[in-house]
Amino acid sequence: MITTAQDEINLYVFAVRAALGDLPESLRDELLEDLPEHLAEVVADGEGSLTDRLGSPEAYAADLRTTAGFVGGFPDPPKRTDQVKEMRDLALARLRVADRRLGPLFGAARASDFLVQLRPAWWVLRGYLAAMVLAWMLDDSGQPIGLLPRIGGSEFVALLLLAAGVLGSIWLGRRSKRLAHWPQMALYAGSVVLVLVALGGFLEADSTSRGAPYADVNYDNPYGNIEDLFVYDEQGRLVSNARIFDQNGSPLRLGNAYCYDDSGNYTEVQTLTYPYCADRDPFRAPSAAASADPAATATGPGPVPDAGAEVNPSASAAPSPSAISPSVSPSGK
Amino acid sequence: MDTTQLLKGVLDLACLAALRDEDGYGYDILRRLRTAGLTEVGDASVYGTLRRLFNAGLLTTYVVPSDEGPHRKYYALNPAGRAELQRSGKTWHGFASTMDDLLRERETA
Repeated sequence: MITTAQDEINLYVFAVRAALGDLPESLRDELLEDLPEHLAEVVADGEGSLTDRLGSPEAYAADLRTTAGFVGGFPDPPKRTDQVKEMRDLALARLRVADRRLGPLFGAARASDFLVQLRPAWWVLRGYLAAMVLAWMLDDSGQPIGLLPRIGGSEFVALLLLAAGVLGSIWLGRRSKRLAHWPQMALYAGSVVLVLVALGGFLEADSTSRGAPYADVNYDNPYGNIEDLFVYDEQGRLVSNARIFDQNGSPLRLGNAYCYDDSGNYTEVQTLTYPYCADRDPFRAPSAAASADPAATATGPGPVPDAGAEVNPSASAAPSPSAISPSVSPSGK
Repeated sequence: MDTTQLLKGVLDLACLAALRDEDGYGYDILRRLRTAGLTEVGDASVYGTLRRLFNAGLLTTYVVPSDEGPHRKYYALNPAGRAELQRSGKTWHGFASTMDDLLRERETA
């Protein structure tokens, strides 16, 4: 549980403070202000835990109470603000422990040490954000700003503003520790506002880059999900072993050149003729596939369903393009 | 007889006396008292007593940075502290000799 001497001291002081809970907050603060340093001396000068050497924190508190001149009467009911402060103190103590535990993960004694090292990076980022917000407020050209702080669409202004923002932010960052209280608070508050605005901007940029309006047309192959190709003649009869060509006479390869029959057996199709799998004819006569796709049967594009017309696997040669006008119906949507 | 009961009455004087020749920080003063023979004196008692003497205006403090470890708050007697040490010292001597006499009479009686 206890990892370092400092944690042990913090927890001990916390327990002593809790045992003196009936004293006014200011009196406790005053009484305990030197205790951590004092206990550090105790720890440094010998072996054993603080509790072994000094007794329980409660006994320590009782000793303090009598010798420091405060006589504990009936404890006042704890005030709400005290409870809030108590919870805050406990949370801070836990946070410090976690800080030390996580330290090795970042190769430092404490995780916060690592964050401190990252501060210059934050200054640069803050400078960029400030420049972006400034450009966003000053730009009235109506053009999209993009990811640089452009004003009126000018790259030159953008780079100038970016440099000024980053340098200014670093300058402020290096001096923030020496600022007086109110300017420092103003700087922190400004940084928080910047982060919030930046989060909004980030979400907007993210959704813009995801929702590219022409993505479907430009980038997706509309034939990507075609598995097989069915050609019908004017009478709606399936043309078997059809061959299709482009304007240059090159055969078009579409779909997957293999079939599964009803029992799930896999057969590879060797020839480049369509359909690969005549069994999958989407406009097959209703008697053959009663419930295959009634809607498609009723409103199908070309073929008229003909109950009498069995699919005729006539092994004809490639149909001459002028002789018939095939209507093409992709399947496997 | 319980020494801790006795200590309660004289801890102020003991702390003032420990600071007579040399300033010291809390743990330092505790060690001086223990080295001097007050082995039962408690850490919290010394810490509390020093704070009370300081609040009573008998001590001054100053902080000395330490290379290894935390900064140390040194306590020093101020004139009021020295006067108090002298006065309480006299009271103690009177009390102690009375007790000595009392015990001697009983022993010889």
